Amino acid sequence: MRITVDNLTFGYDYRTVLKEISFKMNSGDFLAIIGDNGSGKSTLVKCMLGINKVAPSQIFLDDVDVTNYKQFLNIGYVPQIFDDFNYEFPITVNEIIHSSIMRDISQDEILELLDKMGILELQNENINTLSGGQLQRVFIVRSLINQPKLLILDEPTVGVDRKNVENFYKTINSLNAEGISVILITHNIRESNANFSHVLSLHNGEGIIKEVPRGDEA
Amino acid sequence: MNVLAQSVPFILALFEHSFLRYALLTGLIMGGITPLIGAFVVIRRLSFIADTLSHFSLAGLSIGLFLINTLGYTFISDPLYLAIIASIIGALIIEILRGYYENYKEISMPIVMSLGTALSALFISLSGGFNTSIYNFLFGSILTVGDKYLAVMSTTAILVLALVFFYYRKLVIISFDESHARLLGIKVGRFQFVSTLILALVVSLSIATVGVLLVSSLMIIPVAAAMKIGKSFKNTIFIAVLFSELSVIGGLWLSYDLNIASGATIVLVNIFILFVVVIIKHIYTNQLRSKRTTKEDVGNV
Repeated sequence: MRITVDNLTFGYDYRTVLKEISFKMNSGDFLAIIGDNGSGKSTLVKCMLGINKVAPSQIFLDDVDVTNYKQFLNIGYVPQIFDDFNYEFPITVNEIIHSSIMRDISQDEILELLDKMGILELQNENINTLSGGQLQRVFIVRSLINQPKLLILDEPTVGVDRKNVENFYKTINSLNAEGISVILITHNIRESNANFSHVLSLHNGEGIIKEVPRGDEA
Repeated sequence: MNVLAQSVPFILALFEHSFLRYALLTGLIMGGITPLIGAFVVIRRLSFIADTLSHFSLAGLSIGLFLINTLGYTFISDPLYLAIIASIIGALIIEILRGYYENYKEISMPIVMSLGTALSALFISLSGGFNTSIYNFLFGSILTVGDKYLAVMSTTAILVLALVFFYYRKLVIISFDESHARLLGIKVGRFQFVSTLILALVVSLSIATVGVLLVSSLMIIPVAAAMKIGKSFKNTIFIAVLFSELSVIGGLWLSYDLNIASGATIVLVNIFILFVVVIIKHIYTNQLRSKRTTKEDVGNV
């Protein structure tokens, strides 16, 4: 998915969070968004998703203005853990995944996705019993179930142990190698072995984008 | 308050008295759909909404009584119709206020509840103060429901079941994760609006069975018990409905045998089930924990 952010300024009430941000992303790119807490990383992503309402002509998804964009099904979004989901009520991994299916997908394909993310054996578990890392994988499968062209991950490895962080990024790298564009919000870029193509660093609402030479890891 | 003289056992009395059959049937229908709706209400953290709407319905009932008894508007055959209208108006006000106070959505509940309670008090006093009708509205009178009410209740139940059946997946996504639902292109606002209207309808209809003050308990308590032991979403709803039906049957039976108020007994049985579940769950969790600790100790040795 192609993304163009053109001179984006956004704020809540009287506070400006993002100031004149501009960057472009092509299909298959892997963008890391870095910055301190409160630098506007999640705000930026929520603007792209249409959750934060922005003025017209500032964000384009596949050349369509986000204010007119209807195909958000093309974007798989994995929010920060404990963000919006109601966890206490019993629901199984399968129930979460199946309720989110909006496109034709066979049972085999679902099982394959679960297996790929290493949570095949957890499909009938209540989500209350899962660890942070396992839960994160459930949300990734949920975001992949509708075959998105772009995957947005907001701090996906918070609370996940080191070994699983490595495995996690291997999977993300291979999804990216399959052609899915990825946007990863992270506060610690050194920790990850993700194969970025671009890094956008946000500081006090202002952003600088850099291209990164890609490694072979996929 | 019970109109029964318990000369025969409950089961035989069911064959003998049609009003008792109506009561049981109405209770069972209600017991089936209230926790079904209640589950979605609990997940969306709107447990207080049923209480708010029931107080607003009471305003409708009181206005109805005032119009019928004091002003003599006899064309209003049953104040329950006004309760339904009031409940829907209350639901609409809640939705409007929830949009107005976006970050303090729950503030809409006490505002609507206060308005409902104030209007109720006003019209109760205007229509001659506290009487049997008001008592029945507050605490329910399941034993006096007739076939007309049973028909309305059955139609509502079919409507609720059909909506849940056809929109099950969407309801689950919206309840658990509203922003994800929006991303999937689901019209969340429209769904919320319709479900609030349905909720308003069910709340106002429940008044005849357990009364204004006990309506929310029918909706919330079986769900509160079931969510502590449910293994999946469907399983939790199934258990909640089971608990709810048990409390309807048990409550009616007990109220018949002991000659006590039926609505209150149903709710008390509901609470009793909740307590039993909480205690058993607590004991079970403790045992599991001590088993784990023993295993770890053995492992450490």
